[in-house]
Amino acid sequence: MNRDISARLEVIRTLVTENLAREMVPFPVNRKLCSSWTHDLPRGGETILYTSYMYQLAAVFKTYEKLIPRLTSFSNISRIASLGKYLIRPSKEDLERSSLILNNIVQMLKRHGLSFGYLYDEEPYSGALLLELGLLDEFREYGQKLEQFFAARRIKKLITVDPHTANALVRLKKMSILHTEVMSYLEFIKQVNGSGEYVLHDSCLYSRHLGKREAIRNVIANSGIVLKEDPLVTASETALCCGGPLGPVDVELSDSVSAIRSRQLSRLGVPVLVACPLCYSNLSAHLTRVYDIMEVMR
Amino acid sequence: MRPSQREVWDTAVERAIFNNVPKIKSIIKDYPYLEVLAESVREAKLRVLDNLDWYIDSTMKAVERSRGVAHLAKTVSEAQNIALDIIGERKRIVFAKTNVAYEVHLREFLQSHGKEVWETDLGEYLIQLSNEPPSHVVFPALHMTKEAVGQMLHDKLDASVTATSSYEEMVAAVRKFLMEKYMSAEVGVTGANSVAADTGSVALLENEGNIRIDTVLPGTHIAITGVDKIVPTVKDAMNELLVQSAYGGLFPPSYINITSGPSSTADIELKRVSPATGPGEFHLILVDNGRTRANADPVLRQALLCIKCGRCYFSCPVYRALGSSWGNPPYGGPMGAMWTAIVDDDTSVANLCAHSAGCREVCPVKIDIPAVLEYIKYLDSKRRSVRK
Repeated sequence: MNRDISARLEVIRTLVTENLAREMVPFPVNRKLCSSWTHDLPRGGETILYTSYMYQLAAVFKTYEKLIPRLTSFSNISRIASLGKYLIRPSKEDLERSSLILNNIVQMLKRHGLSFGYLYDEEPYSGALLLELGLLDEFREYGQKLEQFFAARRIKKLITVDPHTANALVRLKKMSILHTEVMSYLEFIKQVNGSGEYVLHDSCLYSRHLGKREAIRNVIANSGIVLKEDPLVTASETALCCGGPLGPVDVELSDSVSAIRSRQLSRLGVPVLVACPLCYSNLSAHLTRVYDIMEVMR
Repeated sequence: MRPSQREVWDTAVERAIFNNVPKIKSIIKDYPYLEVLAESVREAKLRVLDNLDWYIDSTMKAVERSRGVAHLAKTVSEAQNIALDIIGERKRIVFAKTNVAYEVHLREFLQSHGKEVWETDLGEYLIQLSNEPPSHVVFPALHMTKEAVGQMLHDKLDASVTATSSYEEMVAAVRKFLMEKYMSAEVGVTGANSVAADTGSVALLENEGNIRIDTVLPGTHIAITGVDKIVPTVKDAMNELLVQSAYGGLFPPSYINITSGPSSTADIELKRVSPATGPGEFHLILVDNGRTRANADPVLRQALLCIKCGRCYFSCPVYRALGSSWGNPPYGGPMGAMWTAIVDDDTSVANLCAHSAGCREVCPVKIDIPAVLEYIKYLDSKRRSVRK
């Protein structure tokens, strides 16, 4: 394979593992800004709503992906590590959108009788990126740190809001590293309202790794939304990826995959629904009518 | 890919998916026993992998019992030299589609030794003529649109064929050319869709009819295949043919061929003698080239269950975007990212897997392809650490 890709992967390994070791986030981020979407939730508790910064930072992750080719030396990586949180920030629009989605999730969970807290700017990242790049030793090592973090705060249950975090935590549990209970917010939502016709772009992780394909469809169908299906576009055997996981490895390939998937979806002639912030970030680069399910259901 | 290549590729792959994906679904629905057969093929192949050395030895002995000659090639160069020794001074060779011959670069090797070699599978012939890598393990010329095929045949084979000729006219032009090659061929080289350890029989699947000619008209038939193609019995070998045919979208197959040694007859006093009408020599070259090493690894060995139906390609977003430039031909797509690690010891290719897992949904022998590719990514990360 292209030596550039190997070099990129090594830059990411260095940048991400150093940041995780130091701050428990993969890239330098302004944690206060990213946790400012709520002020009403109790800090901490046995049950935690766990965002892993995915909704807040999906667009920022893409900025870092584009920066990686310039980080060819360790001095550049160190400079990014010290300055990144000031220079690379989520846009006002992205923060407002993620705030709306996360607050909608909170309202729905509360309406279903759940009480839970939030870790605010203490919240750590899940380590999903390490897993998805095959950095399994680093993932296990970081997972142990994560387990200690949750155990020290007596956290018993984590409610995830995105598929990458859910998948990473489920894998840590399968590796017998994480002992905290892990649930997705989707498991709690029974009665929601929505309308209109959409096509659902499945998250590969929810649909084919975590077995939630039908559960998500049921939540959406129960809301009143009609989903348009096509055997060559939305079946479990044929639905393609949004290209997101390829971003850190090869930006151009990631964009090609997003473009192919966007073309397929747009042929169905209805707006697209997603249940993952990375899917949104990738598909919205090619499509104008893309919405998170938590933007169209109340 | 250049923009013009991208446009042709997108058109070609979309047409192929439109024709193939619904077809496979309807085959599986109409012939429900095929899913049961697929499960039995998986179990049969697992039995072989659990005792691979014994099955290789049994297969070779069975080939000898049926008056064939069995060879075991550990490496690419051993496979090349064994084939060259068998061919000797003979010059005119016809190839049926064989991925393992491609894997060991056999056509180019024989050509470099002065042999005239022609591919007789239509797709493989188009690849030979265009001098391009195959874009699919079953349908090697998938990246060519009908228009591109017509133009190439016009330029390189028959000026009467054009980009607007019918499919039938294109096929007829190639058939006419290849007929001359069949008639003068001295050696026929095929792969094997499966090999039976109990009888030493080689099972071959086809629709074109070229394999039948390649295996009976020349005086010598060489079958070259990987040790992963061994199954315990001839019944398992037949099952694997049916499963490959179905999950490749070509069920029922037009022809299946079972070859057990050279041609023979017992029509005079029931005394069996060889040759009869077909070849007087039959050779099986079993190629290792990384397979036994992979079998020793509990995760990688899953890849050896692959029956090379190629169904996983069409569920893969990376294959859709990159075509033949992902993997080392003839192995591409998700299965190719696994097989490139096995036969070329190249773990870096797996880094482009998006772990979308459509491949796992469609694999007839239930290989957890994303898990294997995650593991290969991990192996690659360890290698990069060592290189640093």
